[in-house]
Amino acid sequence: MAKLDDIIIEDTPGKRVLLMGNQAIARGAIEAGLGLAAAYPGTPSSEIMETLATASPKLGFHTEWSTNEKVAFEVAAGGAIAGVRSLTSMKNAGLNWVMDMFMTLVYGGVRGGYVIVVADDPDAHYSSNEQDTRFAAAYAAIPCLEPANAQEAKEMCKYAFDLSERLELPVFIRSVTRISHASGDVELGKIEKRENKPVFDKHWKMGWRWNVYGPPGAVEKHRWLHEQQAKIKQEMENIPWNKLELKPKQTLGIIASGIGASYAKDALKKLGVEEKVAFLKLGTPTPVPEKIVGKMLKSMKKILIVEEGEPIIEMQVNAIAKNVAPEVKILGKQTGALPAIGEINIDIAAQGIAKLTGKTLLPDEAREKTRTGVKKLISPRSSTLCAGCPHLGSYWALKQALRKVGGKVPIVNGDIGCYEQGGYGLSGKEYKPSFATESVRYPIEAPYETLDTNYIMGGGIGLMQGQYHAKYNDGPLVAVAGDSTFFHACIPAVINAVYNKSKGLFLVMDNFITAMTGHQPDPCTGKTVTGEDTKVLNIEDVAKACGVEFIKTVDPFDLKATQQAIEEALKSDKFAVVITSRVCTLQAQRMKQYAAKRMVFNKDVCTGCRLCVALGCPAITFDTKTKKAGIDPILCVGCGICADVCPFGAIKVET
Amino acid sequence: MTELNLIIAGVGGQGSILASHIVAMAAIDEGLLARVGETFGAAMRGGAVASHVRIGNEVQSPLVPKDGADIVLALEPLEGLRNIVNFLKKDGVLITNIHPWLPVDVNIGRAEYPSMEAIKNAVQSLGGRVVEVDATAVAQEAGNIRTVNSVMLGALAATGELPFSMDALKQAIRDNVPPKTIDANIRAFELGFATMKK
Repeated sequence: MAKLDDIIIEDTPGKRVLLMGNQAIARGAIEAGLGLAAAYPGTPSSEIMETLATASPKLGFHTEWSTNEKVAFEVAAGGAIAGVRSLTSMKNAGLNWVMDMFMTLVYGGVRGGYVIVVADDPDAHYSSNEQDTRFAAAYAAIPCLEPANAQEAKEMCKYAFDLSERLELPVFIRSVTRISHASGDVELGKIEKRENKPVFDKHWKMGWRWNVYGPPGAVEKHRWLHEQQAKIKQEMENIPWNKLELKPKQTLGIIASGIGASYAKDALKKLGVEEKVAFLKLGTPTPVPEKIVGKMLKSMKKILIVEEGEPIIEMQVNAIAKNVAPEVKILGKQTGALPAIGEINIDIAAQGIAKLTGKTLLPDEAREKTRTGVKKLISPRSSTLCAGCPHLGSYWALKQALRKVGGKVPIVNGDIGCYEQGGYGLSGKEYKPSFATESVRYPIEAPYETLDTNYIMGGGIGLMQGQYHAKYNDGPLVAVAGDSTFFHACIPAVINAVYNKSKGLFLVMDNFITAMTGHQPDPCTGKTVTGEDTKVLNIEDVAKACGVEFIKTVDPFDLKATQQAIEEALKSDKFAVVITSRVCTLQAQRMKQYAAKRMVFNKDVCTGCRLCVALGCPAITFDTKTKKAGIDPILCVGCGICADVCPFGAIKVET
Repeated sequence: MTELNLIIAGVGGQGSILASHIVAMAAIDEGLLARVGETFGAAMRGGAVASHVRIGNEVQSPLVPKDGADIVLALEPLEGLRNIVNFLKKDGVLITNIHPWLPVDVNIGRAEYPSMEAIKNAVQSLGGRVVEVDATAVAQEAGNIRTVNSVMLGALAATGELPFSMDALKQAIRDNVPPKTIDANIRAFELGFATMKK
């Protein structure tokens, strides 16, 4: 099997290859003759753009990492309005950013095919929530496709462009972690050569088609969107992935979509009841094909709905059943047959199927007991910042500065990026709920206990301003964010802080790359998605242009200077921005930017005070028997900050 | 052959995901279906990584069911233990590298690393058996410490449980490792295979 970069553009229909779901989606778009794609990185969606970007210079279409999902959505929508096949991709939370344009674009629709791919994350492996974005497709009144494996991910993406052009509306593809970040066998199809010639006609089939305010106005365009629903319903009945397997005399059935259908199929086989149960596999969870669902319900006594996320199919099937077969018993997430939270797997699907068939699956209690015993042996492997991570320096300096000038109870507001690990806590440590009526200060044993709040991209700096205007007075206010997050979502909030006279410290940890999602370039990297050189934007310049008066840029490996800058900022009576600026350690190693230094640890001098352990670097070790710290020579990259942390001179840089 | 369920476990940076893709590609090249589910935490070096590989004629979903793994291939012993506890079949086998990569929790004295003896007892208590491979030493012998994954693939192939040819597996290794390391990886694979046959 050849290399992915070659496979993805190979025009060899029928060839079978292994593709990750995200790569398969990208391949589908390429087979459909894609003309433009824009996205912002977000796990588990990023590989869609990364894959497209490897192909775009060779095939001549445009790709970009946009500054955020909203911009990406609009860039792709602009392409589609001009008649060019366009795609945008994002993670679940990214969709929340695009809702404004999304809900309005559908009033006039598109001319070129527009495919919106959203990768949800049931079980919140990489996300701050488990939101089910299929509801957004229903909200915007456009069809949602949901693949069950990598092959379908490719086929559906290709199909979605045609469907989008037939309906003149964007089409939504909902992936999940177990599709996007799973791999499977994929048979390649033909790559369609399309001219993608941009055309513009402002009154195309409707007056002022691309301007909701232009006559006949938004309400008439809303009417048009409603008229399209009949066409959508018709399409759903004929979509190749809505497939009913119904045999005579079957009275039990499953309706399942996407990865849920794959789990359900495997579970049926595991339980050996494939012949007993009718199966409706849905490729369109919203809207469901009413006629096919109705046909199935008429011969059923009991059905189980297996879907990943919220019960959106279950709600629709219940509504259909009321009209065509009110006596059918419908099991699903609403009835507790399947859990309402977390993700499904074969075992959970099997539990649901057992309820459908009236069997009970009993656990092997002796085995469960043995398992519990074995689990006690398993040490956690906690997630940490990397050895040599510049954030370790930033967090250390912040902690020291807060200790010195932090008042009674400072508030540190977090944000999304590698540095969010500053709020992951320590494994094995119990954090009990408190019912205090006064502000409470908790010790910070390691950087992983620093962040007091954390929700979404760019959220921290806004929260900080609310805390200030609520007259919080028990300690200083801090917000942290990284460079990619700064450009993504923080600039309006910085302007707001200046305009509305907020105070507090905004600590920007600039490592010149979108590190957490896999080192994608951002506006301060100097490279585009395809590796082309581009202008480097400087965060200090941007902050200055936003009217910030107190700005300091420091090197987070210089702990003293960083601590001093933070202390000054905390004492300042102005809104203050401190930028800790240093390239991500993994990137620096890759680009061989490190001077090869070696750390030397003197055990005789070590007092066992554990200050270096509190730095949080994974290369620092501590022997509980000898009560001495040490350095793991394999993990250590020789950044040298631990030497500055040790007050006894036990750690030195070998010269 | 109906189905092979395999989990390749290790620490971020050891190449367990690549190893799982190599196995899946070899299976596909020989006409089988393959699914790989990657389970890993935040995108960071040194985290726990496990890749589920399902091969067969009818496999649909990418995750191995509870107590469903025929083989757990561990590039690191603790990660082997972490995965066998929920996934190893009653008569399954854990093939594990014996060289630990200590987690930060152990490094700073917050947790204890289980002994190889304890790991073996744990697997046996759940009905499985253990095959130990000094993969780190073999990788060094092969001339590249970073070929632990290929050593372990060699050990996996030596079980005779893979439903496809050695040639397909070797070709998948050649196609997927960095070009400069092809020879070292093939050598590592062959040494890993030979170790098991001793």
